[in-house]
Amino acid sequence: MTKLQAGRPADVVDAALARVGQVAGEVFTTLREVRAATAATVLSVRQAGREPVAADLATLRPLLWNRLDSARLSALIAGIGFIAAPGLLADAAWYLEWWQENPSGRPVQLLRDLDPSSSAFYDYTHWDWYAGPLAGAEHTICGPYVDYLCTDEYSLTFSAPVTVAGAFIGVAAADVFVRRFEAAVDPALREIPAPALLTNAEGRVVASNTARWIAGSAYRGAPGFTKHAIGDLPFTLVAADR
Amino acid sequence: MNTARLAVFAPVDSTARVEAVVRRLADAIALGLLADGEQLPSEAELAGQLGVSTVTLREALMALRQQGMVETRRGRGGGSFVRLPSDLDLGLLLRGYAVEELRDLGDHYAAIAGAAARLAAQRALPSDLAPLLRSLDEMAKADWDGRLRRLDGRFHVEIAAASQSARLTQEEIRLQADIGPLLWLSRDEHHEMTKRQLFDQHRAIVEAIRAGAGDQARELAERHVLDAVDHLIELRLRLQE
Repeated sequence: MTKLQAGRPADVVDAALARVGQVAGEVFTTLREVRAATAATVLSVRQAGREPVAADLATLRPLLWNRLDSARLSALIAGIGFIAAPGLLADAAWYLEWWQENPSGRPVQLLRDLDPSSSAFYDYTHWDWYAGPLAGAEHTICGPYVDYLCTDEYSLTFSAPVTVAGAFIGVAAADVFVRRFEAAVDPALREIPAPALLTNAEGRVVASNTARWIAGSAYRGAPGFTKHAIGDLPFTLVAADR
Repeated sequence: MNTARLAVFAPVDSTARVEAVVRRLADAIALGLLADGEQLPSEAELAGQLGVSTVTLREALMALRQQGMVETRRGRGGGSFVRLPSDLDLGLLLRGYAVEELRDLGDHYAAIAGAAARLAAQRALPSDLAPLLRSLDEMAKADWDGRLRRLDGRFHVEIAAASQSARLTQEEIRLQADIGPLLWLSRDEHHEMTKRQLFDQHRAIVEAIRAGAGDQARELAERHVLDAVDHLIELRLRLQE
Protein backbone atom coordinates (compact mmCIF):
# COMPACT_ATOMS: atom_id res chain seq x y z
CA MET A 1 0.00 0.00 0.00
CA THR A 2 2.55 2.56 1.11
CA LYS A 3 5.13 3.68 -1.37
CA LEU A 4 8.55 3.14 0.08
CA GLN A 5 10.47 4.87 -2.66
CA ALA A 6 10.48 8.28 -1.05
CA GLY A 7 14.28 8.18 -1.11
CA ARG A 8 16.90 5.78 0.24
CA PRO A 9 16.02 5.10 3.88
CA ALA A 10 19.54 5.97 5.05
CA ASP A 11 19.38 9.35 3.31
CA VAL A 12 16.04 10.38 4.78
CA VAL A 13 17.14 9.25 8.25
CA ASP A 14 20.31 11.34 7.87
CA ALA A 15 18.23 14.29 6.73
CA ALA A 16 15.95 13.94 9.77
CA LEU A 17 18.97 13.75 12.08
CA ALA A 18 20.33 16.92 10.48
CA ARG A 19 17.00 18.70 10.83
CA VAL A 20 16.69 17.87 14.55
CA GLY A 21 20.29 18.98 15.07
CA GLN A 22 19.58 22.21 13.23
CA VAL A 23 16.41 23.08 15.19
CA ALA A 24 18.00 22.31 18.57
CA GLY A 25 21.17 24.05 17.43
CA GLU A 26 19.28 27.30 16.84
CA VAL A 27 18.10 27.30 20.45
CA PHE A 28 21.58 26.56 21.77
CA THR A 29 23.06 29.33 19.60
CA THR A 30 20.66 31.76 21.29
CA LEU A 31 21.64 30.40 24.71
CA ARG A 32 25.30 31.05 23.93
CA GLU A 33 24.39 34.68 23.26
CA VAL A 34 22.58 34.92 26.60
CA ARG A 35 25.52 33.23 28.27
CA ALA A 36 28.06 35.64 26.78
CA ALA A 37 25.97 38.68 27.72
CA THR A 38 25.44 37.44 31.28
CA ALA A 39 29.09 36.61 31.84
CA ALA A 40 30.11 40.03 30.47
CA THR A 41 27.66 41.79 32.79
CA VAL A 42 28.82 39.95 35.91
CA LEU A 43 32.47 40.38 34.97
CA SER A 44 32.16 44.14 34.44
CA VAL A 45 30.34 44.59 37.77
CA ARG A 46 33.09 42.69 39.56
CA GLN A 47 35.78 44.68 37.79
CA ALA A 48 34.06 47.80 39.13
CA GLY A 49 34.79 46.42 42.57
CA ARG A 50 31.42 45.14 43.80
CA GLU A 51 29.28 42.02 43.76
CA PRO A 52 26.40 41.80 41.26
CA VAL A 53 22.80 42.49 42.35
CA ALA A 54 19.54 41.45 40.67
CA ALA A 55 19.11 44.87 39.05
CA ASP A 56 22.42 44.46 37.18
CA LEU A 57 20.83 41.66 35.15
CA ALA A 58 18.38 44.13 33.62
CA THR A 59 21.09 44.75 31.01
CA LEU A 60 20.09 41.39 29.50
CA ARG A 61 16.53 42.51 28.75
CA PRO A 62 16.93 43.92 25.23
CA LEU A 63 18.58 40.67 24.14
CA LEU A 64 15.98 38.46 25.87
CA TRP A 65 13.06 40.47 24.49
CA ASN A 66 14.52 40.32 21.02
CA ARG A 67 14.81 36.54 21.16
CA LEU A 68 11.15 36.26 22.19
CA ASP A 69 10.01 38.25 19.19
CA SER A 70 7.36 36.13 17.52
CA ALA A 71 8.08 37.83 14.20
CA ARG A 72 11.41 36.02 14.10
CA LEU A 73 11.90 33.24 11.61
CA SER A 74 11.27 30.15 13.69
CA ALA A 75 9.64 31.63 16.83
CA LEU A 76 10.43 28.48 18.77
CA ILE A 77 11.24 30.08 22.10
CA ALA A 78 8.39 30.83 24.55
CA GLY A 79 10.50 31.84 27.56
CA ILE A 80 14.14 32.71 28.03
CA GLY A 81 16.52 33.99 30.65
CA PHE A 82 19.25 33.51 33.18
CA ILE A 83 18.91 31.55 36.42
CA ALA A 84 21.38 32.70 39.04
CA ALA A 85 23.31 30.20 41.11
CA PRO A 86 22.10 30.60 44.72
CA GLY A 87 24.38 33.14 46.37
CA LEU A 88 25.63 34.77 43.17
CA LEU A 89 23.71 37.99 43.76
CA ALA A 90 24.37 40.17 46.79
CA ASP A 91 20.71 41.11 47.25
CA ALA A 92 18.80 37.92 46.29
CA ALA A 93 19.70 34.37 47.25
CA TRP A 94 17.41 33.00 44.54
CA TYR A 95 16.76 34.86 41.31
CA LEU A 96 15.58 34.34 37.76
CA GLU A 97 15.88 37.02 35.11
CA TRP A 98 13.14 35.29 33.15
CA TRP A 99 10.92 36.60 30.39
CA GLN A 100 8.03 34.97 28.58
CA GLU A 101 6.35 35.69 25.29
CA ASN A 102 2.99 37.39 25.52
CA PRO A 103 0.70 36.90 22.53
CA SER A 104 -0.96 40.24 23.18
CA GLY A 105 2.13 42.38 23.34
CA ARG A 106 5.49 42.90 24.98
CA PRO A 107 7.19 40.04 26.82
CA VAL A 108 6.32 39.65 30.49
CA GLN A 109 8.64 38.87 33.35
CA LEU A 110 7.99 35.74 35.35
CA LEU A 111 7.65 36.54 39.03
CA ARG A 112 7.79 33.65 41.42
CA ASP A 113 8.31 33.18 45.08
CA LEU A 114 11.82 31.78 44.97
CA ASP A 115 12.43 31.37 48.66
CA PRO A 116 12.43 27.64 49.50
CA SER A 117 11.43 28.43 53.09
CA SER A 118 8.05 29.83 52.00
CA SER A 119 7.40 27.96 48.75
CA ALA A 120 7.55 24.20 48.32
CA PHE A 121 8.07 24.57 44.62
CA TYR A 122 11.11 26.49 43.91
CA ASP A 123 14.38 25.05 44.99
CA TYR A 124 15.43 25.09 41.38
CA THR A 125 18.75 23.31 41.93
CA HIS A 126 16.80 20.00 41.79
CA TRP A 127 15.60 20.51 38.26
CA ASP A 128 17.50 18.84 35.43
CA TRP A 129 17.73 22.14 33.57
CA TYR A 130 19.83 23.43 36.46
CA ALA A 131 21.58 20.25 37.63
CA GLY A 132 22.75 19.32 34.10
CA PRO A 133 24.71 22.51 33.39
CA LEU A 134 25.95 22.57 37.00
CA ALA A 135 27.44 19.12 36.43
CA GLY A 136 29.21 20.51 33.36
CA ALA A 137 26.91 19.42 30.51
CA GLU A 138 27.19 21.85 27.60
CA HIS A 139 23.85 20.82 26.09
CA THR A 140 21.01 19.97 28.47
CA ILE A 141 17.46 19.44 27.26
CA CYS A 142 14.94 18.83 30.02
CA GLY A 143 11.64 17.21 29.08
CA PRO A 144 9.24 16.82 27.38
CA TYR A 145 7.55 17.59 30.71
CA VAL A 146 4.56 19.52 32.04
CA ASP A 147 6.21 22.77 33.03
CA TYR A 148 3.86 23.90 35.79
CA LEU A 149 6.31 26.50 37.07
CA CYS A 150 6.75 28.65 34.00
CA THR A 151 4.83 27.93 30.81
CA ASP A 152 1.94 25.77 32.10
CA GLU A 153 2.47 23.82 28.89
CA TYR A 154 4.05 20.61 27.71
CA SER A 155 7.56 21.91 27.20
CA LEU A 156 11.23 21.34 26.61
CA THR A 157 13.74 23.41 28.56
CA PHE A 158 17.12 23.89 26.90
CA SER A 159 19.96 25.00 29.15
CA ALA A 160 23.68 25.70 29.18
CA PRO A 161 26.14 26.63 31.93
CA VAL A 162 27.35 30.20 32.44
CA THR A 163 30.80 30.63 33.91
CA VAL A 164 33.04 33.55 34.80
CA ALA A 165 36.76 32.85 35.10
CA GLY A 166 36.00 29.15 35.13
CA ALA A 167 33.53 29.37 38.02
CA PHE A 168 29.85 28.39 37.54
CA ILE A 169 27.52 31.37 38.13
CA GLY A 170 24.21 30.02 36.81
CA VAL A 171 22.32 28.77 33.80
CA ALA A 172 21.17 30.27 30.51
CA ALA A 173 17.91 28.57 29.54
CA ALA A 174 14.99 28.69 27.13
CA ASP A 175 11.54 27.06 27.09
CA VAL A 176 10.22 25.58 23.86
CA PHE A 177 6.69 24.18 23.62
CA VAL A 178 6.77 20.53 22.54
CA ARG A 179 4.13 21.24 19.89
CA ARG A 180 6.38 23.83 18.25
CA PHE A 181 9.42 21.58 18.29
CA GLU A 182 7.25 18.79 16.90
CA ALA A 183 6.01 21.03 14.10
CA ALA A 184 9.59 21.99 13.24
CA VAL A 185 10.87 18.42 12.88
CA ASP A 186 7.72 16.59 11.73
CA PRO A 187 8.17 17.20 7.99
CA ALA A 188 11.60 15.53 8.14
CA LEU A 189 10.24 12.60 10.16
CA ARG A 190 7.41 12.10 7.69
CA GLU A 191 9.95 11.66 4.89
CA ILE A 192 11.12 8.47 6.58
CA PRO A 193 9.13 5.63 4.96
CA ALA A 194 8.97 3.58 8.16
CA PRO A 195 7.87 4.20 11.76
CA ALA A 196 10.29 6.68 13.31
CA LEU A 197 10.31 8.60 16.56
CA LEU A 198 12.42 11.17 18.30
CA THR A 199 12.97 10.51 22.02
CA ASN A 200 14.91 12.09 24.85
CA ALA A 201 17.67 10.17 26.64
CA GLU A 202 15.14 8.39 28.85
CA GLY A 203 12.84 7.34 26.03
CA ARG A 204 10.17 10.05 26.35
CA VAL A 205 8.79 10.65 22.84
CA VAL A 206 9.21 14.22 21.53
CA ALA A 207 7.82 13.72 18.02
CA SER A 208 7.05 10.81 15.71
CA ASN A 209 5.57 9.79 12.40
CA THR A 210 3.54 6.96 13.92
CA ALA A 211 0.42 6.80 16.12
CA ARG A 212 1.97 3.87 18.01
CA TRP A 213 4.26 6.31 19.84
CA ILE A 214 3.14 9.90 20.08
CA ALA A 215 4.65 12.88 21.85
CA GLY A 216 4.50 12.29 25.59
CA SER A 217 4.37 8.51 25.47
CA ALA A 218 7.26 6.36 26.64
CA TYR A 219 9.40 4.33 24.22
CA ARG A 220 10.65 1.34 26.18
CA GLY A 221 12.44 -0.43 23.32
CA ALA A 222 11.02 -2.60 20.52
CA PRO A 223 12.48 -5.30 18.27
CA GLY A 224 13.41 -4.26 14.74
CA PHE A 225 14.21 -0.64 15.61
CA THR A 226 17.61 1.07 15.42
CA LYS A 227 18.70 4.05 17.52
CA HIS A 228 20.57 6.90 15.84
CA ALA A 229 22.53 9.40 17.93
CA ILE A 230 22.18 13.11 17.12
CA GLY A 231 25.57 14.69 17.71
CA ASP A 232 26.02 15.26 21.44
CA LEU A 233 22.34 16.14 21.95
CA PRO A 234 20.49 14.12 24.59
CA PHE A 235 18.01 13.05 21.88
CA THR A 236 17.80 9.84 19.87
CA LEU A 237 16.10 9.12 16.58
CA VAL A 238 14.61 5.61 16.64
CA ALA A 239 13.60 4.18 13.26
CA ALA A 240 12.20 0.82 12.16
CA ASP A 241 14.71 -1.22 10.17
CA ARG A 242 12.53 -2.43 7.34
CA MET B 1 -29.82 48.53 13.02
CA ASN B 2 -32.01 46.33 15.25
CA THR B 3 -31.40 46.04 18.96
CA ALA B 4 -30.24 42.42 18.89
CA ARG B 5 -27.55 43.39 16.46
CA LEU B 6 -26.54 46.37 18.57
CA ALA B 7 -26.12 44.11 21.58
CA VAL B 8 -23.50 42.10 19.71
CA PHE B 9 -21.27 45.14 19.65
CA ALA B 10 -21.97 46.28 23.20
CA PRO B 11 -18.91 46.43 25.45
CA VAL B 12 -17.94 43.02 26.78
CA ASP B 13 -18.70 42.54 30.46
CA SER B 14 -15.50 43.07 32.39
CA THR B 15 -16.52 40.88 35.35
CA ALA B 16 -15.03 37.83 33.68
CA ARG B 17 -11.63 39.48 33.53
CA VAL B 18 -11.80 40.53 37.18
CA GLU B 19 -12.77 36.97 38.07
CA ALA B 20 -9.85 35.58 36.06
CA VAL B 21 -7.34 37.84 37.81
CA VAL B 22 -8.78 37.04 41.25
CA ARG B 23 -8.61 33.35 40.49
CA ARG B 24 -5.04 33.50 39.17
CA LEU B 25 -3.72 35.37 42.21
CA ALA B 26 -5.80 33.38 44.71
CA ASP B 27 -4.55 30.09 43.21
CA ALA B 28 -0.97 31.28 43.47
CA ILE B 29 -1.43 32.36 47.08
CA ALA B 30 -3.25 29.19 48.17
CA LEU B 31 -0.58 27.01 46.58
CA GLY B 32 2.24 29.03 48.09
CA LEU B 33 3.57 30.22 44.73
CA LEU B 34 3.19 33.71 46.13
CA ALA B 35 4.49 33.77 49.67
CA ASP B 36 2.86 35.15 52.81
CA GLY B 37 4.02 38.75 53.21
CA GLU B 38 5.41 39.02 49.70
CA GLN B 39 4.91 42.43 48.10
CA LEU B 40 3.06 42.42 44.79
CA PRO B 41 4.38 44.62 41.97
CA SER B 42 2.83 48.09 41.65
CA GLU B 43 -0.73 48.25 40.28
CA ALA B 44 0.42 49.63 36.94
CA GLU B 45 3.15 47.03 36.60
CA LEU B 46 0.91 44.12 37.61
CA ALA B 47 -1.89 45.27 35.31
CA GLY B 48 0.60 45.44 32.44
CA GLN B 49 1.96 41.98 33.16
CA LEU B 50 -1.47 40.39 33.41
CA GLY B 51 -2.61 42.25 30.31
CA VAL B 52 -5.62 43.89 32.01
CA SER B 53 -6.60 47.50 32.67
CA THR B 54 -5.71 49.15 35.97
CA VAL B 55 -9.42 49.40 36.74
CA THR B 56 -9.86 45.64 36.33
CA LEU B 57 -6.82 45.00 38.49
CA ARG B 58 -8.10 47.32 41.25
CA GLU B 59 -11.43 45.50 41.33
CA ALA B 60 -9.61 42.16 41.57
CA LEU B 61 -7.40 43.41 44.41
CA MET B 62 -10.46 44.67 46.23
CA ALA B 63 -12.06 41.23 46.00
CA LEU B 64 -8.85 39.62 47.26
CA ARG B 65 -8.73 42.09 50.15
CA GLN B 66 -12.26 41.10 51.10
CA GLN B 67 -11.17 37.43 51.08
CA GLY B 68 -8.29 38.37 53.35
CA MET B 69 -5.67 37.24 50.81
CA VAL B 70 -4.21 40.66 50.10
CA GLU B 71 -3.46 43.56 52.40
CA THR B 72 -2.84 47.07 51.17
CA ARG B 73 -0.75 49.51 53.18
CA ARG B 74 -0.56 53.19 52.36
CA GLY B 75 2.34 55.58 52.50
CA ARG B 76 6.08 54.98 52.36
CA GLY B 77 6.94 51.31 52.05
CA GLY B 78 3.29 50.75 51.21
CA GLY B 79 1.73 48.63 48.50
CA SER B 80 -0.17 45.38 48.22
CA PHE B 81 1.05 42.40 50.20
CA VAL B 82 0.12 38.72 50.09
CA ARG B 83 -1.69 37.41 53.16
CA LEU B 84 -1.95 33.67 53.61
CA PRO B 85 -5.05 33.16 55.75
CA SER B 86 -3.48 30.78 58.27
CA ASP B 87 -6.06 30.30 60.99
CA LEU B 88 -9.08 29.88 58.79
CA ASP B 89 -12.05 28.83 60.87
CA LEU B 90 -13.14 25.52 59.39
CA GLY B 91 -16.67 25.76 60.73
CA LEU B 92 -17.15 29.20 59.28
CA LEU B 93 -15.65 28.13 55.98
CA LEU B 94 -17.71 24.93 55.79
CA ARG B 95 -21.00 26.71 56.39
CA GLY B 96 -20.46 28.34 53.00
CA TYR B 97 -20.80 24.95 51.30
CA ALA B 98 -23.85 22.76 50.92
CA VAL B 99 -23.18 19.04 51.25
CA GLU B 100 -24.13 18.63 47.61
CA GLU B 101 -21.45 21.13 46.60
CA LEU B 102 -18.81 19.33 48.60
CA ARG B 103 -19.85 16.05 47.05
CA ASP B 104 -19.66 17.55 43.57
CA LEU B 105 -16.26 19.14 44.15
CA GLY B 106 -15.05 15.81 45.48
CA ASP B 107 -16.41 13.97 42.43
CA HIS B 108 -14.61 16.38 40.13
CA TYR B 109 -11.35 16.24 42.04
CA ALA B 110 -11.44 12.43 42.30
CA ALA B 111 -11.99 12.18 38.54
CA ILE B 112 -9.01 14.43 37.79
CA ALA B 113 -6.70 12.88 40.40
CA GLY B 114 -7.69 9.36 39.33
CA ALA B 115 -7.20 9.97 35.62
CA ALA B 116 -3.86 11.66 36.25
CA ALA B 117 -2.61 8.78 38.41
CA ARG B 118 -3.65 6.19 35.83
CA LEU B 119 -1.82 8.00 33.02
CA ALA B 120 1.18 8.57 35.27
CA ALA B 121 1.39 4.81 35.84
CA GLN B 122 1.35 4.22 32.09
CA ARG B 123 3.81 6.94 31.19
CA ALA B 124 6.10 7.75 34.11
CA LEU B 125 9.83 7.31 33.58
CA PRO B 126 12.48 7.48 36.33
CA SER B 127 12.79 11.28 36.04
CA ASP B 128 9.05 11.58 36.78
CA LEU B 129 9.30 9.31 39.81
CA ALA B 130 12.30 11.12 41.30
CA PRO B 131 10.37 14.25 42.39
CA LEU B 132 7.57 12.09 43.87
CA LEU B 133 10.05 10.13 45.95
CA ARG B 134 11.75 13.33 47.03
CA SER B 135 8.42 14.82 48.11
CA LEU B 136 7.51 11.65 50.08
CA ASP B 137 10.84 11.90 51.80
CA GLU B 138 10.52 15.60 52.65
CA MET B 139 6.96 15.12 53.91
CA ALA B 140 8.05 12.34 56.25
CA LYS B 141 10.46 14.81 57.85
CA ALA B 142 8.12 17.82 57.95
CA ASP B 143 6.17 18.92 61.01
CA TRP B 144 2.42 19.39 60.86
CA ASP B 145 2.43 22.95 59.61
CA GLY B 146 2.24 25.10 56.51
CA ARG B 147 5.27 23.42 55.03
CA LEU B 148 3.64 19.99 55.10
CA ARG B 149 0.57 21.42 53.40
CA ARG B 150 2.70 23.00 50.67
CA LEU B 151 4.57 19.74 50.16
CA ASP B 152 1.28 17.85 49.95
CA GLY B 153 0.14 20.27 47.25
CA ARG B 154 3.41 19.89 45.37
CA PHE B 155 3.23 16.08 45.59
CA HIS B 156 -0.18 16.00 43.92
CA VAL B 157 0.90 18.46 41.22
CA GLU B 158 3.90 16.22 40.54
CA ILE B 159 1.65 13.18 40.07
CA ALA B 160 -0.47 15.18 37.63
CA ALA B 161 2.65 16.31 35.76
CA ALA B 162 3.82 12.68 35.52
CA SER B 163 0.69 12.01 33.45
CA GLN B 164 2.35 14.20 30.76
CA SER B 165 -0.92 16.11 30.43
CA ALA B 166 -0.69 19.89 30.80
CA ARG B 167 -4.48 20.17 31.02
CA LEU B 168 -4.82 17.63 33.84
CA THR B 169 -2.00 19.39 35.67
CA GLN B 170 -3.64 22.80 35.31
CA GLU B 171 -6.91 21.29 36.53
CA GLU B 172 -5.19 19.70 39.53
CA ILE B 173 -3.73 23.11 40.46
CA ARG B 174 -7.14 24.78 40.09
CA LEU B 175 -8.90 22.13 42.18
CA GLN B 176 -6.28 22.39 44.89
CA ALA B 177 -7.07 26.08 45.07
CA ASP B 178 -10.83 25.36 45.23
CA ILE B 179 -10.93 22.56 47.75
CA GLY B 180 -7.33 22.02 48.91
CA PRO B 181 -7.38 24.32 51.96
CA LEU B 182 -10.72 22.84 53.06
CA LEU B 183 -9.49 19.27 52.73
CA TRP B 184 -6.38 20.15 54.62
CA LEU B 185 -8.22 21.84 57.46
CA SER B 186 -10.49 18.81 57.81
CA ARG B 187 -7.39 16.74 58.57
CA ASP B 188 -6.38 19.09 61.30
CA GLU B 189 -7.41 16.82 64.16
CA HIS B 190 -5.54 13.77 65.43
CA HIS B 191 -2.36 14.75 63.63
CA GLU B 192 -0.35 11.64 64.23
CA MET B 193 -2.98 9.18 63.08
CA THR B 194 -3.94 11.34 60.11
CA LYS B 195 -0.33 11.85 59.14
CA ARG B 196 0.38 8.11 59.10
CA GLN B 197 -2.76 7.48 57.06
CA LEU B 198 -1.86 10.24 54.64
CA PHE B 199 1.67 8.94 54.14
CA ASP B 200 0.52 5.35 53.68
CA GLN B 201 -1.90 6.46 50.98
CA HIS B 202 0.76 8.59 49.26
CA ARG B 203 3.27 5.78 49.31
CA ALA B 204 0.74 3.29 47.91
CA ILE B 205 -0.06 5.64 45.00
CA VAL B 206 3.63 6.10 44.19
CA GLU B 207 4.21 2.34 44.33
CA ALA B 208 1.33 1.70 41.92
CA ILE B 209 2.70 4.34 39.53
CA ARG B 210 6.18 2.86 39.78
CA ALA B 211 4.80 -0.62 39.08
CA GLY B 212 2.93 0.68 36.02
CA ALA B 213 -0.36 -0.50 37.57
CA GLY B 214 -2.72 2.08 36.06
CA ASP B 215 -6.07 0.83 37.36
CA GLN B 216 -4.72 0.43 40.86
CA ALA B 217 -3.13 3.89 40.80
CA ARG B 218 -6.44 5.41 39.73
CA GLU B 219 -8.37 3.52 42.40
CA LEU B 220 -5.94 4.65 45.12
CA ALA B 221 -5.86 8.28 43.99
CA GLU B 222 -9.67 8.45 43.85
CA ARG B 223 -9.94 6.85 47.29
CA HIS B 224 -7.40 9.34 48.64
CA VAL B 225 -9.59 12.26 47.57
CA LEU B 226 -12.92 10.69 48.45
CA ASP B 227 -11.82 9.64 51.96
CA ALA B 228 -10.94 13.25 52.71
CA VAL B 229 -14.17 14.55 51.17
CA ASP B 230 -16.24 12.00 53.15
CA HIS B 231 -14.63 13.30 56.31
CA LEU B 232 -15.39 16.87 55.28
CA ILE B 233 -19.02 16.01 54.60
CA GLU B 234 -19.35 14.38 58.02
CA LEU B 235 -18.02 17.56 59.60
CA ARG B 236 -20.45 19.62 57.56
CA LEU B 237 -23.42 17.47 58.62
CA ARG B 238 -22.44 17.75 62.26
CA LEU B 239 -22.52 21.55 61.93
CA GLN B 240 -26.23 21.48 61.23
CA GLU B 241 -27.11 19.73 64.48
